[in-house]
Amino acid sequence: MPDLVTPTTSARSSSRRAGHDASRGLGVAVFIAAGLLVLFLALPLGAMSWRAIQESRGLTPEGRDLLWQALTLSLTTSLASLAIITLLGTPLAWLLVRRRFRGARLVDTLVDLPIVLPPAVAGIALLMAFGRQGVFGQWLDQLGITVGFTTTAVVMAQVFVAAPFYVRSAKTGLLSVSPETEEAAMVDGATGWMVFRDITLPLALPGIAAGLVLAWARALGEFGATIMFAGNFPGITQTMPLAIYGRFSAGDLQSALVLSLVLLVTSLAILLTARTVSSRSEDTDG
Amino acid sequence: MQASITMMQRMIVGVMLMLAAIGVAAPGSFATAQTAIECVASPSGGSGNPAATPATASASQAVFPESGELTVFAAASLTDAFAQIGDDIMAANPDIDITFNFAGSQTLVTQLTQGAPADVFAAANDAQMQAAIGEGVVAGEPQTFTRNRLAIVVPADNPANLAGPADLARDDLRLVLALPEVPVGLYSREAICDMAEDTSAYGEGFVEQVGANIVSQEEDVRVVVTKVQLGEADAGMVYVSDITADVAGDVEIIEVPDDVNVIATYPIAPVGDGDAALAGAFIAYVLGPEGQATLEDYGFTVLP
Repeated sequence: MPDLVTPTTSARSSSRRAGHDASRGLGVAVFIAAGLLVLFLALPLGAMSWRAIQESRGLTPEGRDLLWQALTLSLTTSLASLAIITLLGTPLAWLLVRRRFRGARLVDTLVDLPIVLPPAVAGIALLMAFGRQGVFGQWLDQLGITVGFTTTAVVMAQVFVAAPFYVRSAKTGLLSVSPETEEAAMVDGATGWMVFRDITLPLALPGIAAGLVLAWARALGEFGATIMFAGNFPGITQTMPLAIYGRFSAGDLQSALVLSLVLLVTSLAILLTARTVSSRSEDTDG
Repeated sequence: MQASITMMQRMIVGVMLMLAAIGVAAPGSFATAQTAIECVASPSGGSGNPAATPATASASQAVFPESGELTVFAAASLTDAFAQIGDDIMAANPDIDITFNFAGSQTLVTQLTQGAPADVFAAANDAQMQAAIGEGVVAGEPQTFTRNRLAIVVPADNPANLAGPADLARDDLRLVLALPEVPVGLYSREAICDMAEDTSAYGEGFVEQVGANIVSQEEDVRVVVTKVQLGEADAGMVYVSDITADVAGDVEIIEVPDDVNVIATYPIAPVGDGDAALAGAFIAYVLGPEGQATLEDYGFTVLP
């Protein structure tokens, strides 16, 4: 494998030789560095899976209830978030890419902000806006609407942290579609919606699909903002990450392990599905 | 290419419609299991198993070594009092460095079991201290060093107009408790069970009605206070000592009467792998007059 990075040379001169050794050394270093990182990423997941498989036989009926409730809630809320993100995020990505408007840069930066913010900040921000004493929450409360401790709050937290990932990726996808192609279709008499549906969307699909996967994964893993803003109650706000943390902090490592493994397998399934779909669309494109 | 893309488009649209349907249906369709308050046949009346913590205030003089680093794992309810005690000790012993890790007692036991380095463990109930002893992480006899009382806390404007503990059963009240594994969560449930015994004052079905009002279960007592302070919850059950000067302006206290109040007892013990001399000195300080005075300042109940 190190040979991949060494230049193909048969020169025997000593200076060339030294260069060859140096690049071979570099090749080995690259290989070791990469291997270390792979090992570091794989080892904890492997160790967790191994322990979880050992423990899963001992999962109590209550543990199974908890697992089922949390998994159902995680899947429904993350998919609901994904639907909202797609419906609202696609137009936003399109506007940011296709239209020059005042404050576009500002909006662009604002949309990226939740990516770099810790979820704890997102949790506090959501509380200040939509909490019962929050800026909008106060007003909602007077109308008799409270979002705290509801499944709606879970979806709001997920949309807040995950939407930027989708918008970012969808933008990249839309940027790869040249306006000339769209204009050509327009000249041929296609309406704006037809152009978007038949030209823009298919061509931008790899970026959009990648965005969907990233956003879904982020929504599925959302923890900090959810526990701060939505609360922690089985079946209502307790998603998989909250259930895992709850079991861990309750000293019930056994259930925490099994839940973690289930979430790992779910995430893996999402990743693999996305891989298959995107490679298929690339194949057909080629 | 065209065929596969229209197929995918249809798939995406289909999935999204399905999701929208699920999203609308979701909130109502979940059953709520595992959150009912379960009362044991004989209410323990508070102090758990007194036999487990025989020693009280056998305070020897706290003598600290010249220098050293001390790590104390302590229940979340001790946050302010222990931080003060730590500052006082470090002021008197400049070469001693004390680090605290505050969390729910049950979280601390998990961390200790997983090998977290600590010298002293202070829990908010005997059950978690016994769990730590069972895991072999604690060395020596635990000693009871302080006690705490329960109180109901509501936001300053008391949006649900709670007048007394009996109102915890009222319809549409948003009640936040700590997880049942957290000491204060356990004490709260014990108190609710004790209240239910007195049907003339608290009515029939008290436990079920209060249980149905729980909207969130937090991992430590301080989060319960925060949720009430923010006004997210209408009421929470915490220790009297958790209503610190910082939050006193944002909340109102509703007393829990003595006959149903569960007195929390706090045990402290050195950790097996820790520095025994430093740990011993810290424990002696906490049990000594200065430590006890600080705890009392922070709302804890002095030992009898």
